[in-house]
Amino acid sequence: MDQTLVRMEGIEKHFAGVHALKGCRFDLRAGEVHALVGENGAGKSTMMKVLTGVYRKDEGSIVYKDREVQITDTRAAQKLGIGMIHQELNLAQDLTVAQNIFIGKEPRKKLRFLLDDKEMNKQTAILLKQMKLDIDPTTPVSELTVAKQQLVEIIKAISYDSQVLIMDEPTAALSDSEIDELFRMIAQLKEKGVGIVYISHRMAELKRITDRITVMRDGAYIDTVATKDISIDRIIAMMVGRDIYQPTRPDRQTSEQMEKVLEVRGLTRKNVLHDISFSLGKGEILGVAGLVGAGRTETARAIFGADPIDAGEIYVHGRKVRVTGPHQAVKNGIGYLSEDRKHYGCLLDMDVKTNVALAALGRFRSFLGFMNDKRLARVSDQIVEDLRVKTPGINQKLKFLSGGNQQKIIIGKWLTRDCDILIFDEPTRGIDIGAKNEIYKLLENLAAEGKSIIMISSELPEILRLSHRILVMCEGRITGELMNDHHASQERIMTYATDRFS
Amino acid sequence: MRKGLSILLLAVVMVISACGSNGNGGNNVNGGNEPAVTNKPTEETSNGVTDAPAEKMYIPLVSKGFQHQFWQAVKSGAEKAAAELNVDITFEGPETESQVDKQLEMLQVALDKKPSAIGFAALDSQASIPLLQKAKDAGIPVIAFDSGVDSDIPTSLVTTDNLAAAGMAADKMSELIGGEGEVAVIVHDQTSRTGIDRRDGFVNRMKEQYPNIKIVDIQYGGGDHLKSTDLAKAMMQAHPNLKGFFGANEGSAIGIINAVTEMKAEGKITVIGYDSGKAQIDAIKSGLMAGAISQNPVGIGYETVKAAVAASKGETVAAKIDSGFVWFDKTNIDSEEVKAVIYE
Amino acid sequence: MRITEIAGVKSKFAVQSGLQQLLAFGSLILLIIFFSIASSNFFQFSNLVGILLSTAVIGVLALGSTFVIVTGGIDLSVGTVMTLCSVMTGVFIAMWGLPVWVGIVGGLLTGAVCGFMSGLAIARLGIPPFIATLAMMMIAKGLALVISGTKPIYFTETPVFMKLSQGSLLGDIIPGFDIPNAVLVFFLAAIIGSVLLSRTIVGRYNFAIGSNEEATRLSGVNVRNWKIAIYSITGLFTGVAGILMASRLNSAQPSLGMGYELEAIAAVVIGGTSLSGGKGTIIGTVIGALIMSVLTNGLRILSVPPEWQTVVVGFVILLAVYADNLRRRKA
Repeated sequence: MDQTLVRMEGIEKHFAGVHALKGCRFDLRAGEVHALVGENGAGKSTMMKVLTGVYRKDEGSIVYKDREVQITDTRAAQKLGIGMIHQELNLAQDLTVAQNIFIGKEPRKKLRFLLDDKEMNKQTAILLKQMKLDIDPTTPVSELTVAKQQLVEIIKAISYDSQVLIMDEPTAALSDSEIDELFRMIAQLKEKGVGIVYISHRMAELKRITDRITVMRDGAYIDTVATKDISIDRIIAMMVGRDIYQPTRPDRQTSEQMEKVLEVRGLTRKNVLHDISFSLGKGEILGVAGLVGAGRTETARAIFGADPIDAGEIYVHGRKVRVTGPHQAVKNGIGYLSEDRKHYGCLLDMDVKTNVALAALGRFRSFLGFMNDKRLARVSDQIVEDLRVKTPGINQKLKFLSGGNQQKIIIGKWLTRDCDILIFDEPTRGIDIGAKNEIYKLLENLAAEGKSIIMISSELPEILRLSHRILVMCEGRITGELMNDHHASQERIMTYATDRFS
Repeated sequence: MRKGLSILLLAVVMVISACGSNGNGGNNVNGGNEPAVTNKPTEETSNGVTDAPAEKMYIPLVSKGFQHQFWQAVKSGAEKAAAELNVDITFEGPETESQVDKQLEMLQVALDKKPSAIGFAALDSQASIPLLQKAKDAGIPVIAFDSGVDSDIPTSLVTTDNLAAAGMAADKMSELIGGEGEVAVIVHDQTSRTGIDRRDGFVNRMKEQYPNIKIVDIQYGGGDHLKSTDLAKAMMQAHPNLKGFFGANEGSAIGIINAVTEMKAEGKITVIGYDSGKAQIDAIKSGLMAGAISQNPVGIGYETVKAAVAASKGETVAAKIDSGFVWFDKTNIDSEEVKAVIYE
Repeated sequence: MRITEIAGVKSKFAVQSGLQQLLAFGSLILLIIFFSIASSNFFQFSNLVGILLSTAVIGVLALGSTFVIVTGGIDLSVGTVMTLCSVMTGVFIAMWGLPVWVGIVGGLLTGAVCGFMSGLAIARLGIPPFIATLAMMMIAKGLALVISGTKPIYFTETPVFMKLSQGSLLGDIIPGFDIPNAVLVFFLAAIIGSVLLSRTIVGRYNFAIGSNEEATRLSGVNVRNWKIAIYSITGLFTGVAGILMASRLNSAQPSLGMGYELEAIAAVVIGGTSLSGGKGTIIGTVIGALIMSVLTNGLRILSVPPEWQTVVVGFVILLAVYADNLRRRKA
């Protein structure tokens, strides 16, 4: 059983200006479950996309069953028997289980244009039986639970005679009993000699079902170890263990000293957020850490009224407020900077001054709704100067500005509106290093002026550098809260962030 | 959410009230009351159909439209005949005179009701033939009205002789402009039978009889008042020496009147119209329009129902029934003969 | 150094936005020159006035449509709502004998209410604009027929109503300069529309919503309410068109109106407003509407067969939008 199925060596991949994979390696044996772990952006997905033909490697070799292969597209990977189960499901909801499994390779009758549904359902039934699954092949997928759908997706992958199966966060949407069913199926596949790559952030799960673990960090290969020989703490240390540039930490105040400006109690949104409660002090920067999909953005959007909530109360300056839409949040002085600047943050085709004024247009209105464009221009000029935005002028369209300058304009938009509670969602995403530092300085200045800031970030050094206090989220819950003192470390945050709440 | 519900509720109420008033209108269509159904029809029907008199004869009329005043007049004539002969009729047509397909659907539905006879004013002289064949196979007599079809299935055609009527318009035009000069024509469309006949009737008569009159332009306005107005203005602009203008239906004629007013050409151009309607009648009274040809829409409706009843009883009906037309102008507009055929 | 840079970018920017108007305006001038050479009857005062007058109704409809199209929406109901407005005006003035000004206000309100209902359906019930206004198109058409009893309503008792579009205030002041009032109303509406779109808060939100609706919502703008307001504005312009039409025909014709919405949309698009929203000007729409009517008028004067006129107009729409695309790609 120790035959090596896949061996990837010296894999290099560049994207426009980013060195995504630096001489990475990975190997998979038949009949093993091999975990691939790392922080967000460590290169796990890129590595697997190279293996499944989504991306083409720049350099390096892939040996599949002792033969060097070129995987030029997803079709080639499928032919070799390499299948991937994506985090988001790829099933056609209105088709039946059998139709989904056989999509693109439907059995035909002798007359080639007729489909043989009977044969298809029969073969599906056999596959389902092999995997000991009690599902009728003719059930529409939409009637199955998410877990069952995931299992169908796995069967679809192995129906191509897959020897290699890559699972990206397969348990993210599953309950405990459903996870048990998945693991039973994984065990069966192992017995059949299928090699499984298992990508997950849940450390406990890794301990439970994987044989080996490969750690990646910043696009580089770190190490491969046998699961039974290593502790979870050690894995986490390997994941975050870069040369940490230890920043000067912000002056800390205990939260008791601070006047509470925002308090959230029991915020709940079905299947997304569970009983989120926290408070924010005046002049405080509250960092929110967690892995992708932990519910950080969802929390921000819920407070901002962008998404509906099922339960929970929000207090601003001790007064209970009802927020049913962003316009009400803004009225209460809450501003939100989306992680997706292009789609949710700004009007790319409009000019700087319109973007600066967008949240506060009503204040530039004079008699009969006429715009006071002179005053608007004056305020915009002031913002451009104060925030040191590099732009030829306030009439420039936003799409011609760099990411960092666009972000400054959006911050300026909320300052123009006098928002004193600002929620920054990944404020430095897609911004180059130099501009990042300017944004950091800006955030610190805002806090010093008495603005209260919630900062969501996936970059732990950023969290540690700016936050006074840190919340850690995992799977829609707050799993940890720590003051940013000498006890706070990337390791501790990661431990909370991978802590499965049950 | 509550707002959404109230809107929905409002819509439902509106629909119901609209249907209610429609129902009343439908009831008015059949004329006599039940007990009046007695012996007269029974005696005339041949043997075997003894249970027939219990049911009133039902004759659907599928028209070219219902919105236009002309069709409302046809309908009133049909209703008059229905009351006199004690039969049930329905009268329907598509929204615009280009919806050939919709009309065929209506014809199909009418046939499915197994009527005693059917009245049909074809929008397209060819498209309906397969359906008419079905009617023939089912033994349902078809009476064509207003425009014929290219087939011998209809037992009879009740229509205005549009060729002759438009020819008369040409005669009057020549008389009024002194037998020479430039004349232009606006027609509602170039595909329907009435459009073609009225155009050709006018043009051919001019060519044959009045060589000194030159028809300088023929355009099509779709019967749209506003578009015909702008069209007429452009034509007058293009032909500054225009002496006469013929509009081949109500919309075209009104367009011409509007254009003449807006271009301040009153008295310079002799306008002849077709059909009636309040605007044309007013224009004739005020002298803006020299006169117009009117069909006899009431007569068309009346004769159609009468012929349909006769045909369903197996009586012979003439293959062509001319419902007649009249020339009306300032001098005879108040006469009884004219008043009977024009509508406001 | 920095100042020269700014100046350079600024002038380039000005040239770009100017180019858009220039292109449409240039084609309009070219068309006029072409027709003037082709027929001596074209370039005459009375014909040019005739062209302006024939632009008025479709032009005002197009002005209204510009607002919804800039939000990235569409209003298919303007043609039949216009008819409903003229019918309601007829009901108020001719049937109920109310003063003319009441009828005018009633007609305008009818348009605004129809637009408000469309906006409500779109913003509150989440029905896509295409569907919601398609439904409104049918509702308005049906109501116009029901209310009028399928008969035209004439304004013969109130000659002053006809003066509204056919009279000439200018002609009374300057003899011989007989520009009908309908043309004045059109230009007045264009000026009001232009100010609304470029100088007021509703116009500013109009562009913001069309540029990126979600980002605008997340900036705390009550997008739903503003959308309802914008559809109501479109309805109001539709009401103006309805009154102009009734006044010009001296009657409310309940069976007209279908298809006018498409001509209005064509005028807006020729004027350089993008159907995907966020871009557009009122002056562009005015030029677009003028191009349409110059074209039809000119082709008629040249006695081009009517079936070919339609083909030519179709090609002009294609050409105009393609030219606009080319310009955008370069910019």
